[in-house]
Amino acid sequence: MKKFIKNCVLFFLLLLIAGEFVVRFTHAVSDIPRRTIDNTGIQKYFINQTGYWKGGDHKWKINELGWPGNLPSSFDKLITIIGDSYIENFMNPNECHQGPLLKKKMSDFNFMEAGRSGVSFIEAMEISKHLDTLQPLQTLIYVNDNDFYESITEIKKMRDITQLNLEKDQIIYGKMKSPGLKKVLYNWKLIYYFYNRYPINFTNHNKENEIKKPELNKVLKFKNEILELFKFIKINYKTSNKTLIFHPKTNDYFIKLAEEHGFKTIVLDSSKDSKSWTFDYDSHWTCYGHNQVANQVKLGLNEHLKGKSQ
Amino acid sequence: MLFNSLEFFIFLPVVFALYWLIGNRRIKQQNLLIALASYVFYGWWDWRFLFLILFSSLVDYTVGLKLNHEERPARRKLLLWISICVNLGFLGFFKYYNFFIESLVDSFTFFGARLSLNTLDIILPVGISFYTFQTLSYTIDVYNKKLRPTSDFLAFMAFVSFFPQLVAGPIERATNLLPQFYKKREFVYANAVDGMRQVLWGMFKKVVIADNCATYANMIFNNSEDYSGSTLLIGSFFFAFQIYGDFSGYSDIAIGISRLFGFNLKRNFAFPYFSRDIAEFWRRWHISLSTWFRDYLYIPLGGSRGGTKMKVRNTFIIFIVSGFWHGANWTFIVWGALNAIYFLPLLLLNKNRVNTNLVAEGKYLPTIREVFQMATTFFITLIAWIFFRADNVSQAFIYVKDMFTTSLFTTPEIFPLTILGLVALFIFIEWLGRSGEYAIEKVDFMRRPVRWSFYMFLIILSFLFTGEQQEFIYFQF
Repeated sequence: MKKFIKNCVLFFLLLLIAGEFVVRFTHAVSDIPRRTIDNTGIQKYFINQTGYWKGGDHKWKINELGWPGNLPSSFDKLITIIGDSYIENFMNPNECHQGPLLKKKMSDFNFMEAGRSGVSFIEAMEISKHLDTLQPLQTLIYVNDNDFYESITEIKKMRDITQLNLEKDQIIYGKMKSPGLKKVLYNWKLIYYFYNRYPINFTNHNKENEIKKPELNKVLKFKNEILELFKFIKINYKTSNKTLIFHPKTNDYFIKLAEEHGFKTIVLDSSKDSKSWTFDYDSHWTCYGHNQVANQVKLGLNEHLKGKSQ
Repeated sequence: MLFNSLEFFIFLPVVFALYWLIGNRRIKQQNLLIALASYVFYGWWDWRFLFLILFSSLVDYTVGLKLNHEERPARRKLLLWISICVNLGFLGFFKYYNFFIESLVDSFTFFGARLSLNTLDIILPVGISFYTFQTLSYTIDVYNKKLRPTSDFLAFMAFVSFFPQLVAGPIERATNLLPQFYKKREFVYANAVDGMRQVLWGMFKKVVIADNCATYANMIFNNSEDYSGSTLLIGSFFFAFQIYGDFSGYSDIAIGISRLFGFNLKRNFAFPYFSRDIAEFWRRWHISLSTWFRDYLYIPLGGSRGGTKMKVRNTFIIFIVSGFWHGANWTFIVWGALNAIYFLPLLLLNKNRVNTNLVAEGKYLPTIREVFQMATTFFITLIAWIFFRADNVSQAFIYVKDMFTTSLFTTPEIFPLTILGLVALFIFIEWLGRSGEYAIEKVDFMRRPVRWSFYMFLIILSFLFTGEQQEFIYFQF
């Protein structure tokens, strides 16, 4: 029995080493960049990190400002792009990001992205406040229904996401969730592989994967809270140079409120496209989807910029 | 609880450690642990059905004891029928009630009459067909005086509910498994290692071969009308390997785990896809069920001793009942009948025992004749699997009809090279290891570093190519 247990343990340890080697070599899991919270309370990434996306087909890069993607060659005629994992977009190569795609279509302008998975609408506004120091012509904020709900502590308190506490009329900055554990998990690739492959129900939940049809009841239920959120934003942030890009199927109520509170809006529509914008296995946009989005954003943006020049 | 789940990954080492900590001098305590662990294992799925197993065990245990003291033939027969009625009654109700009602209503409708009967919303208890046959074998063997009944209820409970093979076999005979619960079980290093190896091979079959093949088989069978003949052929090929990998994988895991606890279960699969005719196939596929039907149905019916008519009748009965055992659907009955049709010419020409040895024994490669025989047998099996897999008989016929069109010779729309490569690797390993009880049994000739590297290779392949986790197919039977 002793020999059996000894050999089992030895085999298991060797297997861990071999498995780690194979998972790293084959890029069976994506490399995940380490996050930090800057002195303004914004969660971003440690600068100058690079890594492979799952499968090893392409690399991602964190720039000098702590956001994924390359910085523009110049900050003149700048348009900033803010959003969650759709903008962070680690799953696609750099040329399929909104910044490079829009630059290709609107070469007179420079684009800079600030994307991070989990960003709520209020956090996007906070980020925009800091990026306003770069004096962008426009800021594009990509949003969906959940980003509004998740902005308000009274709807659902989320420790790791920056939210607005309506009662105190105060921003509650997100805190890092189990950073030590995450550091181990992301560096011990084999374990991270299993964590992804066999998710434990109560933890592995990516909020961006949950964009569903608009929930009318939820909108009705939290109508007042959402209105308060927009009022707060109107008072505390500059909205005139912000364009909200609404994901397809966003509830009309949010679009209407945004327009009433001084935002410009672009509503994405994938319904007329026979080809899907998203991956088979999750709701993020493929390279094709990003390109279609950029086409629609370009049209809307041209209108807004034309209006501005007139 | 699924073998390929995190819960089982924790459950097994805990039970294993407790079992050997109790020590083999305390057989009763070990049996109690096995019974408890088995009930936890089963109850994890749905605890309510534990009462069914418990009741079935109680009835057969009591009937067995009564048979021991009863010499009057009529009384003995009555006791046997009580056991048969209780066991098959449960099976009939849970598994076949709705089927009979629907078939009855359909037949009335066919003859222009109306019958208003409602089906019930019945959950099929996992593994009911397996443990029912296992307990029945006990009562029948006691009735036939082939086995002395046990007075140890704990051992009997552990025998009926033995968790490694409770839900999907192999269907053990009381004559083989029950006596092992009375004896001291020794921990033998070589047996434990062999058990682990068989578990590894079973897992590989399940998570790499069966689950990946299932993805494509489901995709093709669920939209069969959209695909060309060549794709439909690939769909049936994938299903053939799904069901083989799934079911024989389960058996390998069950046998391997049992060995860790000092038990020996019977072999259930013997490389069936290397069979040279259908009779050989049925000696190599789901052996525990085939031999069950042979011993408790075919032989009592007269077997192949009578005239041609009787042979034909008995062959059809055994294959159709075997098909029906798999599920309450006409597809299984047609599948059984089709296999009977394949088998009959061999039986009537007395050629059903031509291929009893191992194909290409002692050689690396088969002869051209053997290749042709194996390919033909595999192909007709493939056709039969279409009926087994299809949702209904008409879909199966349309599937076969659509397959044999000119589009059979076009490039298939679905041709997943990686998965086909894995299946090819699997066939290659099975071929090399076909003289063993399972494909990788005889790897001891390798030096330890090579052997361990090979195990790791299989495990890592399992990590990297794990298909979508699916329940074992035979759970539904």
